[in-house]
Amino acid sequence: MRAIYQAFYRTSLAVQMQYRVAAIIWLLGTVLQPVIFLVVWSTVARAEGGSVGGYTVAGFAAYYITMMVVDHLTFDWHMWEYDYRVREGLLSPLLLKPVHPIHGDIADNLAYKSLTMLVVIPAAILLTLFFRPSFEAPLWAVLAFVPAIILAFLLRFLSAWTLAMASFWTTRIQALNQTFFVAELFFAGQIAPLDLLPAPLQLVANLLPFRWGLAYPVELFLGRLTPREAITGLAAQLIWLAITLVILRLVWRAGLRRYSAFGA
Amino acid sequence: MTEPAVHLDNLAKVYRVYEREAGLGAAVRSLVRRKSHDVRAVDGISFDVAPGEIVGFLGPNGAGKTTTLKMLSGLLHPTSGEVCVLGYEPYRRQREFLRNIALVMGQRNQLLWDIPAVDSFELNRVIYRLSRQQYQEMLDELVALLELEELIYKPVRNLSLGERMKCEIAGALLHRPRVLFLDEPTIGLDVTMQRRIRRFVGEYNRRYEATVLLTSHYMADVVALCERVVVIHHGRLLFDGALDALVERFAAHKTIVVDLPDGVRNGRAFAAYGEVLEERPGQVTLRVPKANAARVTGQLLADIDVLDLTIQDPPIEEVIETVFTQPDS
Amino acid sequence: MRQILRITYTFLRLGALNELEYRANFFIQSFQALLGLLVSLGGLQIVFNHTADLGGWQPAELLALVGVYQIVGGLINTVINPSMQRFMEDVRKGTLDFALTKPADAQLLVSVREFRIWRVADIFLGIAVLVVALVRLGERVGWQQASLFGLALLCGAAIVYSFWLILATFSFWFVRVENILVIFQSMYQAGRWPVGIYPQWLRITLTFIVPVAFAVTVPAEGLVGRLDLPALAQALGLAAALLLVSRFFWRFGLRAYSGASA
Repeated sequence: MRAIYQAFYRTSLAVQMQYRVAAIIWLLGTVLQPVIFLVVWSTVARAEGGSVGGYTVAGFAAYYITMMVVDHLTFDWHMWEYDYRVREGLLSPLLLKPVHPIHGDIADNLAYKSLTMLVVIPAAILLTLFFRPSFEAPLWAVLAFVPAIILAFLLRFLSAWTLAMASFWTTRIQALNQTFFVAELFFAGQIAPLDLLPAPLQLVANLLPFRWGLAYPVELFLGRLTPREAITGLAAQLIWLAITLVILRLVWRAGLRRYSAFGA
Repeated sequence: MTEPAVHLDNLAKVYRVYEREAGLGAAVRSLVRRKSHDVRAVDGISFDVAPGEIVGFLGPNGAGKTTTLKMLSGLLHPTSGEVCVLGYEPYRRQREFLRNIALVMGQRNQLLWDIPAVDSFELNRVIYRLSRQQYQEMLDELVALLELEELIYKPVRNLSLGERMKCEIAGALLHRPRVLFLDEPTIGLDVTMQRRIRRFVGEYNRRYEATVLLTSHYMADVVALCERVVVIHHGRLLFDGALDALVERFAAHKTIVVDLPDGVRNGRAFAAYGEVLEERPGQVTLRVPKANAARVTGQLLADIDVLDLTIQDPPIEEVIETVFTQPDS
Repeated sequence: MRQILRITYTFLRLGALNELEYRANFFIQSFQALLGLLVSLGGLQIVFNHTADLGGWQPAELLALVGVYQIVGGLINTVINPSMQRFMEDVRKGTLDFALTKPADAQLLVSVREFRIWRVADIFLGIAVLVVALVRLGERVGWQQASLFGLALLCGAAIVYSFWLILATFSFWFVRVENILVIFQSMYQAGRWPVGIYPQWLRITLTFIVPVAFAVTVPAEGLVGRLDLPALAQALGLAAALLLVSRFFWRFGLRAYSGASA
């Protein structure tokens, strides 16, 4: 299996190098969005005497710069990829191979992120120089961040992959995907740090999986969580991971049956 | 008695198609109640293929050939009936099964588009768990047989259609599948390329005793490669046997080509002997019903000063067309 | 002029008829527009839970900004974006000839080629938001503001159109230009908020490099009475200049294209 991942990784790198220009342009958007919210909230903080909801201007900067890097490391795009594959008939060749397509997709992620980190890290450094964030986190939090971000990636990847299975049932996936992204915007702490949301929305955010894929590792890294909250978060990640895996297997099997019933 | 490599028993694939008429009223009505009818893409096909056989599937578009191949390779789940390839049920898509088959579809890409074919091959090597030695041996052979030398180092998108097809076939055979499904492999290729691929498939079959199931529009593919033909129409099996037997059974006519000496005027009404297909200075081609062929030949020889006379079977394409235009009974 | 209107109307009608085939698209598109609005309004609401003033803008004024953002976004996505993308695709595939062999101005034909009628849902929603904002703003908005708004909006539309046309014209020479359009889409997101709050480097980028400011913020400023005449004059000047430059560049590109593909 390791050999297979290595092979997939190498091949994916080669393919993605061909699209590096498009990738860099895409990255512009990835970097811009957190910057927009950073500026908005910094403006609010300044107007309200320097801080809002426990975040100072420097705190917002730290939050959004970290969010940018974590988002980039954990996001997945395969809900678009499967629509393309089904429409273009590219899924059948994948199904004929004696290996589950999900492994290639994970390798795609690793390859993409290896390449784009070369741009995202410098961007993060530049933003740090300009916006002057304040990072003060205890060592245990920074160490705990490592497993947290790995779990966050798995969680977001598997959720996105489950969503991608919708392509077996419809070609109109845009509305579905967009609903997912909008929910993520609000409940993963992108529009605003979750502490700034009105209480009812915060409650919803704790019940949905989005927080654990994005806001949780960010808050952990910034030292904003108590050890107890950190452990609760870890548990939440694991629980949602388990739930997503179960749903994924069901949906994959159902999707495959449908695909092989209707047209390969 | 060896196990057949491929076994089908009353295999069927039925699609439910929803009808939709034009107009706003129908659109609204279709929200509530949808009319549908069943399309029997494959309607009870049965046959066996022995290991090492090459079988040609013939049939017009929509006959059910590709659907059958997809069921044999596990991409489609049959509606009813049995299908068994190398002892496996294809739709269960077990690893061992997938490692022993290959499906090549004409004009469809399995290789990655942006990188050289050899990189895709390497990926396949790992996926199919081939040792470096096995892989290299097979690759060398395929490169030699298909004349791929520099082609595999160019990005696939830079190859012509024919070159791409050769690389696709090579990629599909690296793991030495025991059963090979070819769906219109020569479509869109020029004549030389078609011949080369045909030769290759025959060679692969000889060397590795692989079972080959081939669908094609081009009679030349089938004639060159297949001792056995299966004719499918409207999802049903119309004929299963040797190609000659097919012609024998379905050819209703014979073609008589008469060579005439120079100077003999073709004023004769050759139409009296049979249907005139072609009339040129020095040669006349007639089509006569099979039963009359001997009698007409005799008459021609008696009535005219003939240089040469040949009796031919009609071109196979014509025969097949006759088969296909049979009423659906 | 009548010819221009007639051609525009024809394509609009064709596009509409084409899209009406897919009735489901209307509901899907409306739903997506609502989602987009949800993001804008949700963000706004959360911000104003914590403050009464964002960079000098009051809630009602920002609501107007969101309305303008929706309307302009809808305008871009109904005609400009689809037509320009179609144009670039035609150049890439070599199927541009229909525009070159018709007895009408090629730029016009290319610009109104594709009309995604269901995107008007965006525009309607934007208008609805705008109306609510105007109600909240009350007497502060009179005829002067309305005309400033209208004028600034026209300038903004002209600037955005010319900007897209210039970018699209590059595809006569460079094949992979479509990626650049993605930049616009990303940067347009910044238009949800008044451009004034951004740091200077971003503000300049959003004004002169990717004209989001002129598309959204400036017309909104006009509506809520924040627009001064020098700024309006700037918008007018830039609009006129860009229209001319894009036209000239287009003709240049077209000549190169038809000369090259003999």
